[in-house]
Amino acid sequence: MEESLLLLRRATYALFVELGRAPTIDEATAAVGRTPDEVLDGWRVLHEQHALVLDDARSAIRMANPFSAVPTAFRVQADGRSWFANCAWDAFGVCAALGVDGRIETACADCREPISISVQDKRPSDRELLFHCLVPASKWWDNIVFT
Amino acid sequence: MNLFRSEEHITGWLHGREPGATIPVTKLSELAHEWWADRLSPEWQPHSRQQNQAILDRLGLTGAFWQLPG
Repeated sequence: MEESLLLLRRATYALFVELGRAPTIDEATAAVGRTPDEVLDGWRVLHEQHALVLDDARSAIRMANPFSAVPTAFRVQADGRSWFANCAWDAFGVCAALGVDGRIETACADCREPISISVQDKRPSDRELLFHCLVPASKWWDNIVFT
Repeated sequence: MNLFRSEEHITGWLHGREPGATIPVTKLSELAHEWWADRLSPEWQPHSRQQNQAILDRLGLTGAFWQLPG
C-alpha cells in the first residue's frame, strides 16, 4: 500500500479513536493537509482494498473495522470513552486494537436479553456465551455490512 | 456475527436457516485479539490472505467454513 494511503488511513483511524465516531471529510482534510477531493479519492481506494468501508454513496465512512460509524447493538466502553463496533467479533476487536480492557454492552441476538461483558487481560468475564458466524469466510467481503 | 445465551438461542434465531459456525466467546476473544491487535499501530500494513488464514488456523478454526477466498 502506498505511503500516502497509509498516512490517510492512520489519520482516519486516529480521529475515529479520538472522536468516538467516524471523522467527516472536513475533519480528515484538516488532519492530513489535503483537499476534500483528495481525501475522498484516498478513502475510495482504501475501501477497494478493504482497509475501511464507505457508505453506499461512497462519500462517508461506514466502518473503520472494528469501529462502526453508525449505532449498532455492540457498544464498547474502554479507556474512559465509548465506540460502536460492527459485530461481536469487532466489539472484542475494539479492546484489542486499543490494547486496553473494556466492557461490551450488547444483547442475545435471539431473546434480546441484555449482555454486559467485561474484557480483562483479553479474557471475557462471561465464558458461557456463544458466538455464531452465519456467513462463511469465503463470502465475508461479498457484503461486509451484512456479514 | 452475534452473541447468544446458548445453542437453543442460536437455533431459535436461525429460524430454519442453514447454520454457520459457532465458537465459545473465549475463542472469539482470542480471535479478535489476534486479528485486530495491530489495527492502530503506526507500523500497520494490510494483512495478506495468508496472514489472516494463519490466525484462523492457529486458533483451530479450520475446515471449509473458515477458508478465506484465494
